[in-house]
Amino acid sequence: MAEHSAGRQLDLHLHLLDRQVQDEDGRMVCKVDDLEFEVDATGRPYVTAILVGPRALGPRLGGRLGRWVASIAGRLATADQAEVPRIDFGYVTWIGNSVTIARHPDELPVAPLEDWLDRHVISRIPGSRHESE
Amino acid sequence: MKRIFAVALGILTAIGGFVDIGDLVANALVGSRYGLSLAWATIGGIVGICLFAEMSGRVAAVTSRGTFDLVRERLGPRVGLANLVASFLVTMLTFTAEIGGIALSIELVTSVNYLLWVPLVALAVWLIIWRVKFSLLENVFGMLGLSLVVFAVALWKLNPDWSTLLHQIAVPDKPGKEGLLPYFYYAIALFGAAMTPYEVFFFSSGGVEERWTEKDIRTSRVNVFVGFPLGGLLSLSIAAVAGLTLLPRGIQVDTLSGVGLPVAVAVGKIGLAVAILGFVAATFGAALETGLSCGYAVSQYFGWQWGKYVKPRDAARFHVVVLLSLIAAVGIVLTTVNPITVTEYSIVFSAVALPLTYFPILVISNDPDYMGEKVNGRVSNTLGTLFLIVILIAAIAAIPLMLLTKAGQ
Amino acid sequence: MKASDLIHQPVFDDTGRRIGVVTDLRCVQDGPLRGAMAAPRVHQVIVSRRRTGSLLGYDRREQQGPWLIRRIVRWLHRDLMVVPWESVRISGDDGPRTVVVTGPAATDRT
Repeated sequence: MAEHSAGRQLDLHLHLLDRQVQDEDGRMVCKVDDLEFEVDATGRPYVTAILVGPRALGPRLGGRLGRWVASIAGRLATADQAEVPRIDFGYVTWIGNSVTIARHPDELPVAPLEDWLDRHVISRIPGSRHESE
Repeated sequence: MKRIFAVALGILTAIGGFVDIGDLVANALVGSRYGLSLAWATIGGIVGICLFAEMSGRVAAVTSRGTFDLVRERLGPRVGLANLVASFLVTMLTFTAEIGGIALSIELVTSVNYLLWVPLVALAVWLIIWRVKFSLLENVFGMLGLSLVVFAVALWKLNPDWSTLLHQIAVPDKPGKEGLLPYFYYAIALFGAAMTPYEVFFFSSGGVEERWTEKDIRTSRVNVFVGFPLGGLLSLSIAAVAGLTLLPRGIQVDTLSGVGLPVAVAVGKIGLAVAILGFVAATFGAALETGLSCGYAVSQYFGWQWGKYVKPRDAARFHVVVLLSLIAAVGIVLTTVNPITVTEYSIVFSAVALPLTYFPILVISNDPDYMGEKVNGRVSNTLGTLFLIVILIAAIAAIPLMLLTKAGQ
Repeated sequence: MKASDLIHQPVFDDTGRRIGVVTDLRCVQDGPLRGAMAAPRVHQVIVSRRRTGSLLGYDRREQQGPWLIRRIVRWLHRDLMVVPWESVRISGDDGPRTVVVTGPAATDRT
């Protein structure tokens, strides 16, 4: 994969931000809500992680709405979620019209709401473990 | 043989699934006031929905992604969110209208007040969304919806002067005593009823649910270009029979029984029974579609796993959104607001929300990054741009006209 | 630093005059290797007068249809500039940054 993608040109806003992130089985994980950079020795920023969730999306919504979203999400976050949920760029295996990552969504701490709803609401309803028939 | 069967099933399902409570009410109401002189608006709406359903089906087949997924990518998160909120609210309103419509239809059969049916209807809608396989859901309600063919039968039995009817369609002219403003208000309403926003979300998300690939593009096109126009003929029949039986008597349609009255007149009790079966099937099918669309829209914007093609546990947020939408819709119906009024508002607001849905579809179906070679051809683009302009005009005019004419008085 | 600290932030020239907003960051995957991929590294900043319609792709792709929409979007972005990273100065340590263009830019859209 590395030799295929090395040197490839990407416009971050057009090609990477707001893209669907999925795992290698095609299961949907999240959206690329924001991107994290570090700066290299020549002073250029490079992408280090995908940021996920309302705390990441808030600033991109801009204005008062964005600040409100981010602060509410920050308050709802529990102690073990001190950082904005991130997917290290190292997990990315493919960038096409969606972004594919190598790890299964259950192993990534990016969807606390899904887990909570699954545990407390959905799995209590009969039939939630089975495909429709 | 199996191929032919599958194609036929798709077409029949498209015909039977075309009409929902909005089409029933709008066409009957307009027919009883204007006969077929607004048929051009219905026909325009049918051409429009065919055009955009083809595009969204193609997008689903090529990208395996749903509409709102792509809306956020192309409009950005902020405009995309505004789009989501507006589209979600309109779809919720339509969902509410459909639930009311189901309850009203059952009331026609049982003479038990529709409000008492609402909780049962809601439970049935939810259970079917929760457990029944997507393709089964589509096929069963689509086929049952074919009962609405009784309107075409009624039209034939009324033995109308066909040349007069055709003249009315071809040369739009409002009946003398009617004002110009209500005439255009109803034109927009018919347009909004034929081209409801949820149809596009549903059609593309449904394509992903059914795991379409590029091979399915041709089947999807046949469904759209054969099935939808035939379904549209049913809409026109509803207007035509209302025009032939109710207009001369000055009866205006304002209840669901009024929609069925022309069939009772032309075909008798059996015809009415078949029509009511059609009402139940059409509204129930549409309730399932709008309920699912509420879930599709929100989940696709945020990137959540959605759909009936995975276990509910793997799409918890999607199912919770659908459930909450259902509860809200039921809540609104139980406030005893007239479901026909809700339907009329849902149609007008659909017309207002149309540009939000169709503009992204037009852009995305042209984007080679997503579509590869399967981008729009010249014809789709020319017609699509034309329709977008018409839709924009209709969207801007809808609310002022509604206020000026007091919703068509 | 995050992408949201740069995207849609106002851009000034070195006399302090506002010349537009950042609509995109053009990268090449030639950064440090992370996992299977080389990280995208910013080479150019794309600046346009306004942010509307910048994600539709028309401002950068020649032939995308339909014709009317393409004309309108390209007109909206007629002053699009592609600024090399070396010509850009970013100030601020946290949150949204200020972007100043100090050197030559190109107007070639590709």
